[in-house]
Amino acid sequence: MARPDLMKGGAVALPFTDGPVTPVTTPEGVVLSFRTASFASRLAALLIDFLIIILAPVVLVILYILLPFEHLKFDNVKMDHPFIQALFILFVLIGFFLRSGYFMLFELGPRAATPGKRVMKIRVISHDGGHLTPSAVITRNALREVELYLPLTLALQASVNGGWVSLVALIWTLTLALLPLFNTSRARLGDFLGGTRVVHVPRERLSFDLAEQVPVTSPGLSFTPEQISVYGEKELGVLEEVLREKRATTLRAVADRIKTRIGWVEPKIASDIPPDEAFLRAYYAALRAQLEGRMLLGRRRKDKFDE
Amino acid sequence: MSEAANEKPPLQLKSQKFREAREKDWKALAKQIDRAENGGLRKFTTEELLDLPVLYRSTVSSLSMAQSISLDRNLITFLQALCARAYVYMYGPHARPGVIVRDFFLRDLPRSVRALWGELSLSTLCLVLGIVGGILMCMADPSWYDPLVGGMSQGRDLNASVDDLRKTIGGSESGEPLAAFSVFLMSHNTQVTLSAFALGVIGGLPTAFLMIVFGMSVGAMVWLFASRGLGPDFIAWLSIHGTTELTAAVIGAAAGFHLARRIMFPGHLTRKAALAEAGRLAGTAMLGAMLMLVIAGFIEGVARQTVTEMWARFTFGGVMLVFWLAYFIAVGRLRKPRPPKVSHEVRHGQT
Repeated sequence: MARPDLMKGGAVALPFTDGPVTPVTTPEGVVLSFRTASFASRLAALLIDFLIIILAPVVLVILYILLPFEHLKFDNVKMDHPFIQALFILFVLIGFFLRSGYFMLFELGPRAATPGKRVMKIRVISHDGGHLTPSAVITRNALREVELYLPLTLALQASVNGGWVSLVALIWTLTLALLPLFNTSRARLGDFLGGTRVVHVPRERLSFDLAEQVPVTSPGLSFTPEQISVYGEKELGVLEEVLREKRATTLRAVADRIKTRIGWVEPKIASDIPPDEAFLRAYYAALRAQLEGRMLLGRRRKDKFDE
Repeated sequence: MSEAANEKPPLQLKSQKFREAREKDWKALAKQIDRAENGGLRKFTTEELLDLPVLYRSTVSSLSMAQSISLDRNLITFLQALCARAYVYMYGPHARPGVIVRDFFLRDLPRSVRALWGELSLSTLCLVLGIVGGILMCMADPSWYDPLVGGMSQGRDLNASVDDLRKTIGGSESGEPLAAFSVFLMSHNTQVTLSAFALGVIGGLPTAFLMIVFGMSVGAMVWLFASRGLGPDFIAWLSIHGTTELTAAVIGAAAGFHLARRIMFPGHLTRKAALAEAGRLAGTAMLGAMLMLVIAGFIEGVARQTVTEMWARFTFGGVMLVFWLAYFIAVGRLRKPRPPKVSHEVRHGQT
């Protein structure tokens, strides 16, 4: 059977098999396979956080201008005025917090994620499966200094002054910033030193069970064991995606493919021809019943090439 | 076409029955986790709090069962995501803040610093070498002074008269915005110490270099004041906050050396495990160093201007030094375990 087949070229991504996986053995002894946060989503989270860090002082300055401090504007007050000094101290402290405390504080919170990470649905977890400890969070964020701030500062200084230092700083920045691309767990230096990983923790909805919706008696929709045993688990998964998406053109194409592949004979009377969706549902239910039955006996069938 | 084979009523599949029996628990857990993430645990009743781990465990076991009997991909994805969220929540870092702070100061910090004694002596050596080197270099050739001290001199340069120099270490009568400036210096010094630590990951040599250069600039200033006959005055002035600040710098550099050592010589562990271990130990010590620098900043902002007598300055600096040494040497030692019984109890020594 060398003919092109249903699941070839299907654009449906399998939700839990794409991308690298971070397996974590929980204290209960169950292996949870977290999807490793991709470099892109980590970068996006970082950019969102930076945006907040940069915008916070701007908002403060605007607030200062809006609030009635008319008699204390900088032009008619000396810099050593206690109020101005207090403001200056406050500003330096806030800046210090934003740079060094922001990440630590949020990652020590109940969600173990900064606002940027929350938006990207990623979280910090402990790689050994235990509790995420404060010292791990502190270490992974202290390393931001050497991974990010220091090279950035150096590169900025050197780009003003010029010279070979800028080149070295740039190479260093790139090496450290791109480190997640060169290891399978997508971890940066701070993750290695803190023993932490960043993983994708999406919120999934529990939908109905497709097998439940097959009518008890579906006239003309029964399959021989030979017809069912054409496909495996992978194809079942794709079929499920197709059925949940319910796009008419896809349904039609997939139904046609399956019919050709299993040698389906359409009923003679036109009114007995089942609609594509009903046909696919019935086939899904039959295929799942067969595969799950085999599974219980310890025989899994990965895909249609698996015998 | 065989008629009888495949006409199955609903809930014929084992996976469907399994789902029907357990679905209620999963949905309950999902609701609780939503609530916990949004509102914190405070609104939970005691019963609900006790239920949470039970629900979590049953859902985790559902997941491992579902993976071996069900082919409903949506179901498995849902359970995986739910377990992941519950796990992140249950094993997240939400210890009570009070406990974290107490454990940190009375146990983790002094222990980590003590564990670094080898690296501490190395970084002290670098600092002392730097100071001595700075003095000797300037004695040999005063033109070394400018490159060593550079922009931080604030008028303490070679051309300054004895009176000018005395003024820079006097009390505050000039009315400069000193307090604000010292806060700035504090945040600056903290970043420098962070760098000394973080540079450890690229082999340790940059850390040593940073410490030696830092020592040299201190040494050069000591030479300048000593050559104008103000040596003891300068050291007294420096000691007020310097004993705290230099100790912090030494600890920060030692933490950096520790990283370097464990990266190069991971011992019997894998390099990854050695790194994670070193990171936690050094990170804890590093956080302590940063806090010390904050304290040094406060001292610099307040005590430097108010404590003006030489003897008072020496006393102040000396007391701070003794305090730090006593804290790091004595606090948080394990109670000597009686031979076979291993006790996890920790003596919380007095600070």
